[in-house]
Amino acid sequence: MGQSAHRPVGRLSEVADYDIVIVGAGPVGAILARVLGSAAVGSEPLRILVLEAGPAVGRTWSDYQANVDHYLGSSIKVPNAPWVSSAYAPSPDVLDVRPLTPDSIPDDNGYFVQYGPLPFESDYVRAQGGTMLHWLATSLRMVPNDFEIRSRYGHGLDWPVSYDELQPYYERAEWELGVSANVEDQEYLGITFRDGYHFPMSRIPLSYLDEHVAGTVDGLTVTLDGEATELLVSSTPQARNSTPNPGYRPIGAHGAEHMGLRCEGNSSCIPICPVQAKYSPLKTWGLVSRHVEVRTQCVVSKVIYAGSAPDAPVAALEYYSYTDGLPPPATPERVTADIYVLAGNAIENPKLLLASEPTPNDNIGRHLMDHPYVLSWALMPENIGAYRGPSSTSGIEVLRDGAFRKDRAAFRMEVVNWGWDFITNSPFSDLESAVDKGLYGAELRAEIADRVPRQFRFGFLYEQLPDPGNRVFLNNGYVDALGIPRPCIAYDVDDYVRKGMVASQGLSESLFAALGATEYTRYSDSKPGYVTYDGWPFNFVGAGHLAGTHCMGTKRSNSAVDSFQRSWEHENLYLIGCGSMPTVSTSNPSLTMAALAFRSAEAILDDLGVR
Amino acid sequence: MTSWSPEDLRGHLQTAVEIEWTTIPPYLCALWSITEGRNELAATCIRDVVLEEMLHVTLACNLLNAVGGSPRFTPRDGQPSPVPSYPTFLPHSDDAFRVGLRPFSAKALKTFRKIEHPAGGGAPPEGDRYATIAQFYEAVAEALADLAPDIFTGDRSLQVDSSYYYGGGGEAFAIHDLTTANEALDVIIFQGEGIDLSIWDPDRDVFGEQEELAHYFRFDELYRERRYVEGDTPATGPTGGPILIDYDSVLPMRPSPKADDHPAGSGLRALTDECNETYSTLLVQLEEAFTGRPARLIESVQTMTRLRYESIALMNVPLDDGSGKNAGPAFQWRAPSGG
Repeated sequence: MGQSAHRPVGRLSEVADYDIVIVGAGPVGAILARVLGSAAVGSEPLRILVLEAGPAVGRTWSDYQANVDHYLGSSIKVPNAPWVSSAYAPSPDVLDVRPLTPDSIPDDNGYFVQYGPLPFESDYVRAQGGTMLHWLATSLRMVPNDFEIRSRYGHGLDWPVSYDELQPYYERAEWELGVSANVEDQEYLGITFRDGYHFPMSRIPLSYLDEHVAGTVDGLTVTLDGEATELLVSSTPQARNSTPNPGYRPIGAHGAEHMGLRCEGNSSCIPICPVQAKYSPLKTWGLVSRHVEVRTQCVVSKVIYAGSAPDAPVAALEYYSYTDGLPPPATPERVTADIYVLAGNAIENPKLLLASEPTPNDNIGRHLMDHPYVLSWALMPENIGAYRGPSSTSGIEVLRDGAFRKDRAAFRMEVVNWGWDFITNSPFSDLESAVDKGLYGAELRAEIADRVPRQFRFGFLYEQLPDPGNRVFLNNGYVDALGIPRPCIAYDVDDYVRKGMVASQGLSESLFAALGATEYTRYSDSKPGYVTYDGWPFNFVGAGHLAGTHCMGTKRSNSAVDSFQRSWEHENLYLIGCGSMPTVSTSNPSLTMAALAFRSAEAILDDLGVR
Repeated sequence: MTSWSPEDLRGHLQTAVEIEWTTIPPYLCALWSITEGRNELAATCIRDVVLEEMLHVTLACNLLNAVGGSPRFTPRDGQPSPVPSYPTFLPHSDDAFRVGLRPFSAKALKTFRKIEHPAGGGAPPEGDRYATIAQFYEAVAEALADLAPDIFTGDRSLQVDSSYYYGGGGEAFAIHDLTTANEALDVIIFQGEGIDLSIWDPDRDVFGEQEELAHYFRFDELYRERRYVEGDTPATGPTGGPILIDYDSVLPMRPSPKADDHPAGSGLRALTDECNETYSTLLVQLEEAFTGRPARLIESVQTMTRLRYESIALMNVPLDDGSGKNAGPAFQWRAPSGG
């Protein structure tokens, strides 16, 4: 491949405890463990240790069901509701987020310390399986122009890999995650597929609601910023089980393989699929070689370098092994390896490096990105079968690229099956207001049955550009129960995004009109994610797509890692995950993250001379 | 050995479909009567067995289609309803025992063991008046070998494979010759009754799945409230740790209910009729699925889910006859009223 200016690391010495230590047992950790765990030096498998800060939450079917019970028993069904976090490895929660004011900054309610000016609203899960335990399973590829934003649109940073280079790894990721989609639906905006390629499973059927919306929207031409675009509702590629194509066998629930072989439409994908028809990294963990050692409840606190030179290799990791309910461990332990991989996420990876000496590359922690997520909602004139199926099974993708990206953010539009749910706390709020109107019995039921299935919404995900001021940093005044500094976050949403919001708002209004729907969208200045542009108000929340904080690039001065996600400074250190993305564009990032992880796994094997 | 004509073989394969189908409602009643979260091992065991019986139904239909037959689940072509009224003998068996619809109980487990009983060394193949299901399938296997290859005249597009069937102890596959036919028979026989000297079923070899006890021994360990462990044989019985069984955490359904148990116009009559109609809709969908419209299987999953909800709702209604028992699903054929 000729990718490496580094010498092969090889098996440096017999004195290292392991060949590879991976920090984080989420999706990236699982893929690396799967690939690297099946490699061998001669007849000996690689010695691999995985350290996970959180607990194991799904080693058996009944373990997993305990999470379902948690979800059922929780009064507010937020994404983290099923996943119990440990006091020693806390997870951020969307319920922690409050509006920020100059007087309330820094706000340390919850795990994050928010420095504003806007709150960072996304959460994550610290547990084996990671945040993809509660993802929606949307598995879009990026469009080719997304890799060349600086060259084409004059801002952000080009990727050091192209769509064509990543193409074969997208395929591996799609087969690992088990993506259901039809190639012909996914060829737009320059996305191409290898001749003869098929996804492992056919697409998830469009919902009745999708077909209803497509019936009106398909073929409409809209003009935004002077560009005319013909709209099309596309089936969304999703990592949930459907009818298999030749050569693929769906993977059922971990520990109960008869379960979850097809999506059953339980409609609780976020926060938990009760039958495990939706991919979670637990499925990959179920296929990892037994030689790979996984230690949960081990929080890595520091990277120890071999000396104080800025480019010293990593010599060891320091970690705390804890037991919930017992006092915190007094002293950390150490582990050594030939190669170290940080596979936390775009906040935990920089947090760890910023807590270590010497001070890392200046790009570490900067350029924090997410997809600000804005909703618009309306009541349809007829029953459209809201609340059936996964949260979203189709979207409008054709607005994800265009010359307008010189000036304002691109966005993708989700067509949402789940009515108004968390916007208005529907259907509970519908019941309350009907009761308040004095309805009861048959009339009450008729009112609910009339109103709730007509609820409809669009969800808009905007690309956010890398901004060095949006960043993760540490303040030793804020530490967790183990004494480890908590992530401090400075975050804002710039005019580029806000102009995208304005464009989407106009589009949404005209589509509601075309659908004959009555719009109920109302944004409030009392919500945490309140922004305005040119007098237009918006409420945004976080999509949970944290990215950018150890961006990859072509050189040390513009990035933290190379195209293989290897640290520019420390030759035996990899930072793998969405943090490596130089730009986040508009696709939900998990599939791209998985593809990049497969590519990095090959580079690690090359380093060790075992491929 | 009697020699069968192709028509005899098709008749016996329709019987195979009926035998496999007949076992499913009794298993479902036991499964659905278990209070959620209790008797988890028993519930898992029964659920797994039901799923495998559904696979057996599918493979039996594929066999019948492969030899030019046409699986029936409803009364048609002047034939009576192929599904039984409970309690019933197994179709074309030696009528040694009746199978009823019962809640989870020791009595139900005893019946389940009888259904899944191994043939035992030296039992001859029997196409009719068989003592064990294995004997029946041995007779089918002999006839297939006798009539192959000319018998495999079926339309291949009628075969239902893993594109449409999923979830039960392995994959459905198309049958078009003696080899694939014998593979299907092996799955049906071995998952149920175990291989002569082993209590484990062959999933691991055929489908690469985890080692699992054959149905008979899974029920036997529940009945005896003790686990089978490696090294155990049919002679030793289970020698592992105890299994906690709680027969009190079960909805006390009156055995083998019927719609006629409830007076016309009563609420329970309406609920039972509705449940019977759902069951019958399912039978219609399955028949369509196995006679050229395999996509019907996907729709039938929703009907199965509805059948479960309606059955459990019935099981939660106490009867007002002072028996202390509850109502339950009747699994009776009713010509669906349309739609």
